[in-house]
Amino acid sequence: MYIIGENIHIISEKVKEALAARDREFFMDLAVRQVEAGAKAIDINLGPRKKDWAEVFPWIVETVETVVDVPLSIDTTNVDGMEAALKTIKKAQPILNSTSAEPERLEKIPLLAKKYNARVIALTMKTEGIPVEADARVNIAVESLIPRMMEVDLPMENLIIDPLVLTVSGCQQYCPHLIEAVRTLQYAWDPAPNISVGLSNVSNAVPNENRPLINRVYCAMLMGVGLQMMIANPFDENQNDVIHWVETKDTSNPLACVYNKIADRTAAGEEPQMEDFNLSDPEQSAIWKTTQILLNKVIYADAYLMN
Amino acid sequence: MPIEIPKDKWPGSIKSITIGATSAEGGTRAKIITIGGGTTMPYLQFDAPVLSGDEAPNKPVIAIEIKSHKPEDWSPLLAEVWGEAMSDPAEWAKKAEEAGADLIVLALTVDDSAEDAVRVVKSVLSATGLPLIVWGPGQAEKDNELLVPVSEATKGEKLVLGICEDKNYRTIVATAMANGHLVQARAPMDVNLSKQLNILISDMGMPKDRILMDPTTGALGYGIEYGYSVMERLRLAALQGDAMTQFPMIVTPGFEAWKTKESKVGEGVPEAWGDWTARAINWETITATALVESGADIVVLRHPESVKRVKGAIEELITA
Repeated sequence: MYIIGENIHIISEKVKEALAARDREFFMDLAVRQVEAGAKAIDINLGPRKKDWAEVFPWIVETVETVVDVPLSIDTTNVDGMEAALKTIKKAQPILNSTSAEPERLEKIPLLAKKYNARVIALTMKTEGIPVEADARVNIAVESLIPRMMEVDLPMENLIIDPLVLTVSGCQQYCPHLIEAVRTLQYAWDPAPNISVGLSNVSNAVPNENRPLINRVYCAMLMGVGLQMMIANPFDENQNDVIHWVETKDTSNPLACVYNKIADRTAAGEEPQMEDFNLSDPEQSAIWKTTQILLNKVIYADAYLMN
Repeated sequence: MPIEIPKDKWPGSIKSITIGATSAEGGTRAKIITIGGGTTMPYLQFDAPVLSGDEAPNKPVIAIEIKSHKPEDWSPLLAEVWGEAMSDPAEWAKKAEEAGADLIVLALTVDDSAEDAVRVVKSVLSATGLPLIVWGPGQAEKDNELLVPVSEATKGEKLVLGICEDKNYRTIVATAMANGHLVQARAPMDVNLSKQLNILISDMGMPKDRILMDPTTGALGYGIEYGYSVMERLRLAALQGDAMTQFPMIVTPGFEAWKTKESKVGEGVPEAWGDWTARAINWETITATALVESGADIVVLRHPESVKRVKGAIEELITA
């Protein structure tokens, strides 16, 4: 699993404060720790920075590249800021995060990627929004995103399609469709495009204590259909365990068996079954319930584990 | 050629819930009401006929809403039809029963003290033999101040106490549990929040046959389609076996319809809108009928003519 570390994100109060103080140490430490925890790239989302982009983007790139060599994912809607970051990057091939099928973004961002030899994440989203159905998302990739990359002559290996994870709390019907979108996208083109998702979006607006469980169960399902790249929290050790178990088909303990079973069932186009779980074990029972909300079988509620 | 109609077999069903207790059961009601019990989507008579009798699944019922004090903000059309009775809750309840109500909703107001509330609830219980739903005025502290003594003073009557919302449900649920009443659990037109509140109330130990869910709704032209689809989704989840959505549904089309401009305003509206009274009654009737079709078990109405028409519509749905 190629993890793009998500922790340098302006939504975090600590990141906000550190940025205001231009605290180089904070960002260097956060970058190094993510790489040490297994992140293969570092996402940098400091927002659009409409006023101070010309200073902030080069500053953060220079700061982070002082201590790590991995690719940086420049996560912003500000195209000028993105270019300022690209001009500063000296180490690995960067990732632009992101374009979509919205005309203006699809016009500009792939050109930037071409100019600076960057990889680019492309969201399966149009101006009208995100379609629920898996097929409709795959169509956006095939009809808009991939043709545009060919038009600007960007090598296919530089395209990363993100079929968009939405939260189980409020957009539950999208969750099973996203799994199918990941499955189908791999067959949508030859050569197959890279696919990445923002995993923890699945638990947005979920109480904090339940977020990691939902993330890692969804992760196992997505790995079942072939996901190999995601923007995620590399510090989540339980999630790292799940990734390891599924990748190595490790079934040496009951939880590893359960997560592998979830991945295998999803791979086969089946739904996890109650008998796959030892429901007398509270942890496995919680995992079972989580599969049911993620597959939109049971209506989500914040207290769904008590149900 | 005979055509075989495909029938759905659902693993789950709506709970059958009884409101009110007769003297034999520890209350004083002449009549009790059982709702719910549905085993399919509403009115698929070939799947599972809705019955008019006591057997499940039960047909929807109509409650008429009255208030402890004459409501000054209600439409003059309602004041006209209820007349003087509006100033006397016991009298109003009697008239509501005559108008065909299956049960009474008594809404307390912020002007009531705890003693007033108990007195008015008791007077309504003596005036009518119908089962009773009692709502607090809708402010958390005041709700608790009024509903706890009411609940204690009517122990065993199997009233419905409400309205429980996520910000304020514990006190109401606790007193309902202690005194053998039911609760009405309201969430703002959202399946996730409806289910969440049901889980929290059940988790307090409230038996599952003493919860009604109120998914909230909008009037015709004012969001009814959202309410409709939330109810449909809750019903589907219930039939699929989700225990925390299997409660009968109570909705308030009277409240919703009578606050629309079309019902409230008689002057300065386009002539094409036609007769005010006819329009207002149509608004309430059509709102309520749509909700009945989406699976409502109790509709709370305000105008006697709407009660008559919605009853007619329910009979047609059952016999058609």
